[in-house]
Amino acid sequence: MDRARVRCVRCRAELYRTNSASIDTAIALAVTAAVLLLFSNAYPLVALQLNGSVRATTLVGAAIGLYNQGYAPVAALVLLTTLLVPMFQISGLLYVLIPLRTGRRAPGQNQLFRALTHLRPWAMSEVFMLGALVALVKLSALAEVIPGVSLYSYGALMFTLSTLTSVTPTEQFWRWVDGGGQ
Amino acid sequence: MSRIVLGRTVGLLVCSHCHATVRAIRSSHQLCPRCGARVHDRRPHSLAATAALVLSAAALYIPANLLPVMHMHTFFSEEDDTIMSGVLSLIEEGSWPLALLVFVASIVVPLLKIIAMGWLLISVARRSPGSALHKSRLFRLVEFIGRWSMLDVFAISLLVSLVQIRSLATIQVGLGALAFGAVVVLTMLAAQSFDERLLWDTHSDG
Repeated sequence: MDRARVRCVRCRAELYRTNSASIDTAIALAVTAAVLLLFSNAYPLVALQLNGSVRATTLVGAAIGLYNQGYAPVAALVLLTTLLVPMFQISGLLYVLIPLRTGRRAPGQNQLFRALTHLRPWAMSEVFMLGALVALVKLSALAEVIPGVSLYSYGALMFTLSTLTSVTPTEQFWRWVDGGGQ
Repeated sequence: MSRIVLGRTVGLLVCSHCHATVRAIRSSHQLCPRCGARVHDRRPHSLAATAALVLSAAALYIPANLLPVMHMHTFFSEEDDTIMSGVLSLIEEGSWPLALLVFVASIVVPLLKIIAMGWLLISVARRSPGSALHKSRLFRLVEFIGRWSMLDVFAISLLVSLVQIRSLATIQVGLGALAFGAVVVLTMLAAQSFDERLLWDTHSDG
């Protein structure tokens, strides 16, 4: 089938889009995202150099900074949207897609996939990257800013996650379930 | 446009999660046979829940903009930064594209979301006529742009954890950041709890 989309005749919302990606593509993207997420946490995001003293922070460090100042709810929000939700999305997708590839159902598949769908808007890696850009511009007026490995891997994660999301729309997932992974 | 037969008039419902078509039964606890999600003709209490979330967001929007989101302490000076003063300082530094970005994401988008959701709720409650197509499009736009308001919260979290160089410069979080984060979360929850199909219920035909 050629690329096509079906829209609702009344409200024009997209109902269906042909998708050439196979379940293997989705699994490959999820594994890539998992590796990138690991890198993004193992290395510092950015370091600041001012009068000879250097201070670096990681992704988790940004949340800890908020927590230490008594803002636990904001820290939790940052940790969830940048790290925990993407982590849950990647591992959850791998958990249901790998058995589905050979036509088997992972226990709790339906509940898990519904949870993943609800959580989608709460994964905000692309928003975080723009926020980081704003912070770095503000800091560059104050001190020397040194980007870390994590900044690049998180940027790559952002693209991988958005591709992963676009090849696993809800309808596609249920078509895989109905078709035994095909 | 040709006449459209609506599923709900012939006893069919659509699962709002997996979009399977389901034969309606007389029960308030109908489950989708494919994915197991609750199937509703219209999500119960959607209007009341959405209204409560929008009103809370509107109330918190005021402290979010008036209270400082950051407090910066350097060797030479001390200053409180609100969201707006953060935008102004970006303009002073000459990065007006970023200033515009922050202004739109942090000030315009939440306000627009609150006003748009409020208007949609009132128009559903009053069953007012008017183009349901335009209202649907407005709702989808609001749903799509909402998360971008988190931008400032992320920027603040990085500034706070990086600028902790004792005796030279430190940045403290302000209460405004808490209120602002709450506004973003509440407006996102409001969009999620709103049943878009309500917009079409006053609509008689195509």
